[in-house]
Amino acid sequence: MRLKNVLLAGAISALAALSIAPAIAQEVIEIPTWIAFTDAGRLGWTQERAAEFNAAFPQYNVTVTGYSNYEELFASTALAAEQGNLPAVVQYFEVATQDARDSGYFTSIAEALNGRTEVNGIPVNLDDIIAPVSAYYTVDGNFTSMPWNTSSSIMFTNLTMAAAAGVEAIPTTWAEMDAACTLIMAADNAPEYCFTWPNHGWFFEQWVAQQNGLYANNDNGRADRATEVAFNNEAGVALLTWLDEQAAKGHLYYSGAQGGDSWATVDQAFSTQQVAMAVYSSSDTALYTQTGVDNGFEVVASFLPYNEATGWTGNIIGGASLWLTAGLSEEAQDGALTWLLWLTNTENAASWHQVTGYIAIRNSSVDLLAEEGWFDENPNFRVASDQLAQSEVTPATAGALLGGFPAIRNIVTQAIDTVLLTDEDPAAVLDAAAAEANALLEEYNLLNAE
Amino acid sequence: MNPSTPLLVLAVAAAVGAVLLNLLLRKQSRGMLLVSAVGAVSGAVGAAAFMVPLNFCTFEAERDPVDFWFGIGLSAIGILAVTGLASWVLNSILQRRRLFEVQSSPGAFRGSGLAFLFLAPTLIILVLFLYYPFIDTFRLATLLARLGIPRTAFVCVDNFTRLVSNNDYLQVLGNTIWQSIAIVGFSIGLALLIALAAYQPVKGARIYRALLIWPYAISPVVAGIIFLILFNPTGGIINYALQSAFNFSIPWLNNPSAAPWAVIIVSVWKSLGFNILFYIAGLQNVPKDLLEAAAIDGANIFQRFFRITVPMLSPITFFLIITNTTYAFFDTFGTIDTLTGGGPLRSTASMMYSVYEVGIQNNDLGKAAAQSIVLFIFVIGLTIVQFRTAGQRVNYGA
Repeated sequence: MRLKNVLLAGAISALAALSIAPAIAQEVIEIPTWIAFTDAGRLGWTQERAAEFNAAFPQYNVTVTGYSNYEELFASTALAAEQGNLPAVVQYFEVATQDARDSGYFTSIAEALNGRTEVNGIPVNLDDIIAPVSAYYTVDGNFTSMPWNTSSSIMFTNLTMAAAAGVEAIPTTWAEMDAACTLIMAADNAPEYCFTWPNHGWFFEQWVAQQNGLYANNDNGRADRATEVAFNNEAGVALLTWLDEQAAKGHLYYSGAQGGDSWATVDQAFSTQQVAMAVYSSSDTALYTQTGVDNGFEVVASFLPYNEATGWTGNIIGGASLWLTAGLSEEAQDGALTWLLWLTNTENAASWHQVTGYIAIRNSSVDLLAEEGWFDENPNFRVASDQLAQSEVTPATAGALLGGFPAIRNIVTQAIDTVLLTDEDPAAVLDAAAAEANALLEEYNLLNAE
Repeated sequence: MNPSTPLLVLAVAAAVGAVLLNLLLRKQSRGMLLVSAVGAVSGAVGAAAFMVPLNFCTFEAERDPVDFWFGIGLSAIGILAVTGLASWVLNSILQRRRLFEVQSSPGAFRGSGLAFLFLAPTLIILVLFLYYPFIDTFRLATLLARLGIPRTAFVCVDNFTRLVSNNDYLQVLGNTIWQSIAIVGFSIGLALLIALAAYQPVKGARIYRALLIWPYAISPVVAGIIFLILFNPTGGIINYALQSAFNFSIPWLNNPSAAPWAVIIVSVWKSLGFNILFYIAGLQNVPKDLLEAAAIDGANIFQRFFRITVPMLSPITFFLIITNTTYAFFDTFGTIDTLTGGGPLRSTASMMYSVYEVGIQNNDLGKAAAQSIVLFIFVIGLTIVQFRTAGQRVNYGA
């Protein structure tokens, strides 16, 4: 009997606790935020900012949950939406922008702001965001999602090795790359290969955009919904022909890894000095610079080499943005907006850049960092911002908006794999890849037709 | 669609069912009319079981011939299954037997009701977490469905029939078959040799045995990562050793001829411990007197091995073939994912990995469901073939 009483008492107090809990929770508005980082550097930084935000705005409680990658976060978001359990803020990578718009899970930042110039005392000031970034996330003239981690594709050179081989200036074009590689491979103590890059769809997009080549029709899907891909154009064929040539000459090291797996193979080849140059994302500028320090060579970052035959128009951004869930209560939506604006304010954007190497997305942050002398001390950190700032914004360099883009990227990396490992003609391989991508796009558009 | 198509299909199915049931129950003297009627109903129900959910779409005029034949095949499976069931039920009723007869033994519960009550927790879990998702997979396989898009579209059996003309999928099928055979063959063969050596009564045999079994405790993912580092083309220790000793290196991970062997080596290494464990246990059960008698009769070591040891081990070999094939089909996924990601040139993409690529990486749920059903049928077929062929020659002893 006594046991029964104890159990009963336990059950009653548990019930009481449950009924009190919502009463307490009503006082603060929960703002769950899901991001695709699990490392201490990036998830930890964000959680620290959340704690600061919660202290500054006690009426809100931001909780940051990390997922291991963009794909997993994408899947979890879709499942949460089915169960009616969406968080307030979700991070989507840039090429999922069209999927995010079509999903109906989110509302645009501009719509939620509704013309306000400040929320809870935090100024909106979206004009401060640097042009290629705001161009990417502005869709139909509407600021859609909050840019956060933004990167650009750049090149890291082992200057110690290149200088020893007699390379006088870091190559800026494909032809200069070829010339520098010829020197490097002819040198005493030549590395196994001259350069490498991750076979990730992003770099193909960068090199096509540099030549002002479109990736998809309807002005890269920005004038109207994209219905066909265009990457099997001259720009795409020129790139694959060049890569194939460089691989045939023994300049280019291709690890065989594609997509997300490919990054680590480049890190490994560059840090062990099996290559002299690595095309990579600016997101790891801190890591690459440190790799040189640790292994006793000088690392210099530079713009992504371009096709001298077509000239350089500009580069697309990379990275991800933060999306605001649709259907939040007005208080929760304002809370989420406050959090987004605060997280990307001048100081936080500058700090985020220093911790990671993602570019500082606000002009005011760049000015702040310059004033502090950060760029003079860390010249490699300047390259990505400069490359984006000097880019001319055209439909090609604004980046494609495309349904099912992550899956189409896999088709493209598979095509590059085929070109580098077989004798097949780059143009024919790209045509076949485009046909496959078009079939996928047609299915995607069928499901999302108005 | 022509409105008479469903009626025509069901009529044909009923006729087939009637004939089939008469054939199945031809030893029954009673009521050909009753048998025909039940057969006709079960034939129609069997065809309808597949065709009603599909809305008879495979028989639409504008469909490809391959869809039509696929529909015929599905209907045939439905007719066979339901008519077979009807034959069993009818046979039991006609012979006045109970359907779920439990052989009564002293102390046994009467009837089967209580048994089902005790089975209920298991059955409920199976239905909720196994059978329902399984059946839902069939529904999903008829849809164009992408993760993150609420809307879906019905595409009939396209997700299946397009696989036939999909060269990439045919390559994946080929990869899976030859790589599985290689993994199972090398793994079992090597395990037997090593078990023979480890079974010898040498000093510290127990330590050697424990060390041999060790890799089995490592997960396929970890095995993949370990070998990713070892096989690395630019900094891996395997190529370093090959380069130092023989002055050549193998592009393990970026050459489509070498990469499948990298996966095979890792998978064999990984499953070896499990197989050795079973063979050592099996060797302990090979009767010594038999071996001694053979030795006295003048049988040499090879004759004793092939004529006595191998046949005596056949139940274990049979068991290992089945478990290793399942391993090669399903569990190599983790190794492939971490080691090669299905590349280069898709040379290491297995059927299981392809389901993951289509469903998870490309978010195409409908096509992934169809591929997983193909994989399922493949494994069922394989198991039946194994039971039929290997089962006959297995010596389970007295």
